[in-house]
Amino acid sequence: MPDAPVFEVDPRAFWSDPYPDLARMRAEAPIARVPQLGGAVLMTRRADIHREEKRIEVFSSRQPEGLMTKLMGENLMRRDGEAHLSERRALFPALSPRTVRETWLPLFRERTAAILDDLAPRGEADLVRDYAMPVSAEALKLITGLTNMAAAEMDRVSQGMIDGCSNYAGDPAIEAHCHDCTASIDRHIAERMPRLSAAPDMSAISVMERAGLGPDRISANTKLIISGGQNEPRDAIAGAAWAVLRHPEVRDAAVAGLLGWDAVFAEYARWISPIGMSPREVAQADTVEGIDFTPGTRVFLMFGSANRDEDAFDAPDRFDPWRDTSAAIPFGAGPHFCAGAAASRALIAEVALPMLFERLKGLRLAGEAPFGGWAFRGPLAVPVAWDA
Amino acid sequence: MPTIHATDRTGVTREVEAETGLSLMENLRDKGGMDIAAICGGMASCATCHVHVDVDWMDRLPPAEPDEIELVEFTEAYDEARSRLSCQIRVTEDLDGLRLTLAPEA
Repeated sequence: MPDAPVFEVDPRAFWSDPYPDLARMRAEAPIARVPQLGGAVLMTRRADIHREEKRIEVFSSRQPEGLMTKLMGENLMRRDGEAHLSERRALFPALSPRTVRETWLPLFRERTAAILDDLAPRGEADLVRDYAMPVSAEALKLITGLTNMAAAEMDRVSQGMIDGCSNYAGDPAIEAHCHDCTASIDRHIAERMPRLSAAPDMSAISVMERAGLGPDRISANTKLIISGGQNEPRDAIAGAAWAVLRHPEVRDAAVAGLLGWDAVFAEYARWISPIGMSPREVAQADTVEGIDFTPGTRVFLMFGSANRDEDAFDAPDRFDPWRDTSAAIPFGAGPHFCAGAAASRALIAEVALPMLFERLKGLRLAGEAPFGGWAFRGPLAVPVAWDA
Repeated sequence: MPTIHATDRTGVTREVEAETGLSLMENLRDKGGMDIAAICGGMASCATCHVHVDVDWMDRLPPAEPDEIELVEFTEAYDEARSRLSCQIRVTEDLDGLRLTLAPEA
């Protein structure tokens, strides 16, 4: 059997808009090695990803030499089997649908209302920087237990880790910045720990401590939650708001209660998946769709491409919140299914989007919204104005 | 080989010749060809394998773990008397004759 064919991309164009290349890959070379992306083999079709992500004996999440493990410690997303499950169970009480509903949701509403109180008189803002970022950070402070961290610092350390984990070119400045970010998280954990030990709550750090996880495990998993829980909801909130503002029929239906914000969020997460890729490493030789995989090969499961797969969705490039999105896999398609999915749905679809459109009357776009990224993708800025 | 009477979302009932040792979800999906997303692959993480079990059968199933209950009770189609995640039920000979319906998609 042959190795994966080579598919060349222009890294800058791929960062600006990966979808044309991904569409070509799905049609011509659905499993292909991309030299410009660190030589990784990309899997781009929904059916392949949906099937293979569950075969953890071949496509392993363990990547001891990977950048995430080296920079952030070995978190539960970089483990498989029982080691993964036991830590996931330890963390589950902080993120379960029940905890989200009973503990976090009322606090999400309270914090978001305060952010909107500050914002409302201004009449204009960048939705990414001034709304989505602090809303996401305030939620993450509660969920992690790091209520001692400023919202802007939460955003900085999350972005710093994401940049560090995708620093395949080995830029020493990016690596140093990532170390600075993880050190900041460890300082904040050390400061909060005595208080959380004395007065346990439902935060991730507190439930992990109660489950008996040691300081290294708590630190690594907290960094994972921050790297996966700040930028993504931020990008989904600002991106979905932008999509709604660009589609007046969607805005009118959602504001009138004729279309659920959960459907808006689900379709946005399909259309422009905030997490476009999840990496794996081949643990044992195998053949998939006629392509040989050899141990050690880095594989990228392209969720963003799966969610635009023509075999699964009609007119996949169109934003249509009335469509059936049940085949979409923005949270993954296997044992590593996003542990924060319930929290993100509650924050985005029940709080951030409805409260934004309810509070800021006459909300409208006030300029271009450039998007960027392929592993993580979202708007860089969304300038808006409203009737203050 | 236990037979499971499984009704799909259109109301059509199929007799699934189930394999013991596998989960109910795997049997419905792979042996019965039923439309179950089971996105997380059976880890009690996504609640996309939700089924409504005939009330007469609920007490005869192994009890649900807290993880399962927490996930399923917040789905839209949750019914305390009938709801289970099919990935969390291992099929044994005792389940011969089990009747269930796929829950509506969330």
